[in-house]
Amino acid sequence: MQDTVATLISALLGAGLYATMSYGLALIYGVMKIINLANAGVLMLGAYVTWWMWDGFALNPLLAPLIILPAFYLFGVVLERIAVRRVLEQEPIVSLLLLFGVWLILQNIAYAVWTGDTRSIETPFVEATFKIWGIQLALPRVYVFVAGALTLAVLQLFLTKTQFGRAIRAVAQDREAARLAGIDVDRIYSAAFGLGIALSAFAGSLLSLIFPFGPDFGQTLQLKSFCIVVLGGLESFVGVAFGAIVLSLAEAFGLRWMPASYQNLISFVLLVVVLIAFPKGIAGLLRSLRRV
Amino acid sequence: MSKSARLIAPAVVAALLLAVPIALPHAEYLLDIFFLVFLYGTMATSWNVLGGFTGQVSFGHAAFLGIGAYATALLTAAGWPLLATFPAGGALAALFSLLIGPPAFRLRGPYFAIATIGIGEASRLIALNWSSLTGGASGVTLNSAPSVVAQYYTAFAVCAGAVAATAWIKASRFGYALAAVRSDPDAAETLGVDTTIAKTQALLISAFMLGVAGGVYAMHNLYVSPDSTFGFSTSISLVIMPIIGGIGTIFGPLLGAAIFTGLREQLEANPFLAKYSLDLSVFGLLLCAIVLFEPRGLLGVFDRLTGLLRRKPPVARPLESTGSTRG
Repeated sequence: MQDTVATLISALLGAGLYATMSYGLALIYGVMKIINLANAGVLMLGAYVTWWMWDGFALNPLLAPLIILPAFYLFGVVLERIAVRRVLEQEPIVSLLLLFGVWLILQNIAYAVWTGDTRSIETPFVEATFKIWGIQLALPRVYVFVAGALTLAVLQLFLTKTQFGRAIRAVAQDREAARLAGIDVDRIYSAAFGLGIALSAFAGSLLSLIFPFGPDFGQTLQLKSFCIVVLGGLESFVGVAFGAIVLSLAEAFGLRWMPASYQNLISFVLLVVVLIAFPKGIAGLLRSLRRV
Repeated sequence: MSKSARLIAPAVVAALLLAVPIALPHAEYLLDIFFLVFLYGTMATSWNVLGGFTGQVSFGHAAFLGIGAYATALLTAAGWPLLATFPAGGALAALFSLLIGPPAFRLRGPYFAIATIGIGEASRLIALNWSSLTGGASGVTLNSAPSVVAQYYTAFAVCAGAVAATAWIKASRFGYALAAVRSDPDAAETLGVDTTIAKTQALLISAFMLGVAGGVYAMHNLYVSPDSTFGFSTSISLVIMPIIGGIGTIFGPLLGAAIFTGLREQLEANPFLAKYSLDLSVFGLLLCAIVLFEPRGLLGVFDRLTGLLRRKPPVARPLESTGSTRG
C-alpha cells in the first residue's frame, strides 16, 4: 500500500514535469499546425543557460526563468520571421525538416560553447529532500510539479481571459475566419511560436534542477513530449496535462513488470498504440464518445 | 544532357572507379575514403527509395542498418562465409520492415516521421537490452577483415547495385506509383494505387538495401554496438545525405554521401572543426538552406547553374517555366 502510494505520488510529480515540457509543442502545433522538432534543442539550451548563469554568475537557478523566458521568446519570434514563416504553406514534412536543421544547429551551439561534458546544478535546494507521511520526496521535484501546474493555470487564464489569448485561440480554430475578423494572423504566428519556444526553454530550465544534462539532452524527452501531445489530442493544454499523467502513470507502474532499462520503451509503445488506435488522441476519443 | 550521354556518363564513371585500386593499390587512405562514399552512398540511396521516391520521411532507418550489421557480425562468428551474411542481413531487415510497416503506414506525413523516431529508439533499446544475442552495450567484435582492395570492390558492387536498382525503380510502373503516393496519396488511391502496399514495398526494398549496407559496415568496422549502428545519429545522417544531394533523384544521395564523407574527414583532420563539432552546424545550415531555397538539393543548384550557362531561345522560356514546378 505504502509502495503504491509512493509510486502514485512520484508518477504525479513526474507528470508535472512531462506536461511542462510539452506545452510549447502543443501551443505551436495548435496554432500553426507544425511539429516543432527543434523542441529538444530548446529544452537543452534552456537547461544550459540556467546552468551557465548559476555556474558563471552565481545566479540562483530558480531566478533563471526571468531571463530565459524573454530571451527565448525573442529567439522564437526571430526564427519564425526569418525561416518558419516561409514553409508554413508547404507540405508538413518541409517544416519538420527545417526545424530538424535548427535542432542540429542548437546542438552544435551547446557543443561549441559548453563542450560535450555532462553538467548538473548542485545547490542546497536541488539536493534537499523532505518526508511527508513517511514518504521521502525530493524538494526540486515538488517545485517543478508546482511550477508546471502554475504554468498550466496561467496559460489557461491567458488563453481564455485576455484579448490576445483569444486571438491565438481563434487562429488555432480557423485561420481564415480569424483573418476575416480582423486578426493579424502573421503576428499571432510569431507570438505563438515565440511563446512555444519560451515555454520549452522554461521547461528545460526546470529540468536542469532534476537531471544532469549534455548537448544530446532532450532526445528521449522529445519522444515523450510527442507521446503526451498526441495522447492529449494535440491542441488543448488540459489535454496535454492529461496525457502527461497517463504517460507518467504508465511508466511508473509499468516498471513493476519490466526491467528499468525498458522504461523509455513505454512511451514509444503508448505513442504508436495511440497514433494507430485513436488518431485524434484520447481527448478526441472521449469527445466523440460523448457526442454519440 | 542527351539520353545516350545519361547512360554513358555513369558507365564511364563506374569504369574509372573500378580502375582506381588497380592503378593505386597502395593508396589505402584514398581507397578507404572511396569505400566510405560507397557505403554512405548505399545507405543514402536506400533511404531515398522511401523518403525521396515515396515521400515518407523516416527518422528511424538506423534500425535496418543495425539489423544488417548485427547479422553479419553474429553470422560470421557462427561460421558463415562473409558474403553470404549480406543477403541474410538484408532479408532480416526486410522482415523487420514487414513487421513495422503496415501499422506505421496508417500514419501520414509528420505523424509517420515521429513514429519512426520511436521505431529507431525502440530498436536501439532492444539491441541494448537483449544481451544474450547482441552482447548488450559492449557490442560484438568481428575477427578478420578482407583486404582494403577487396572491401573497396565489395562496397562498390553493393553501391552500384543499389543505384541501379533505384534507377530501375524510378523508371518503372512501380516508380510511378510511388511518385503518385508522394504527390497525392488520395488521388493515387482513386487511380487504383494501393498506397499502403506501395509504401510497404518501398520500405521493404529500402530496408533490404540498408540491411546489406549494415553488413558492409560491420565488415569494415569490425565492431558493432547498439549506439554506433542503431543510434539516432545514424538515422540523422541517413536523412541528411539524400536531402543535401537531391531528394528523390538517382544520383543526389551519392552526391550527398560524398559531401558527407568529405566533411567528416575534414572534421577529423581539422582540430578546430573537431573541437567545436562544427559538422552539426554545417549540416543543420545546409538542411535549412536547402529546405528554404532549393528543395531539390545540390543537384537542383547544379541544374540551375547549367541552365544559366545554356542560353535558351527566349520564346521557349515561358513554356519551360510553367512546365517545371519546384520541389
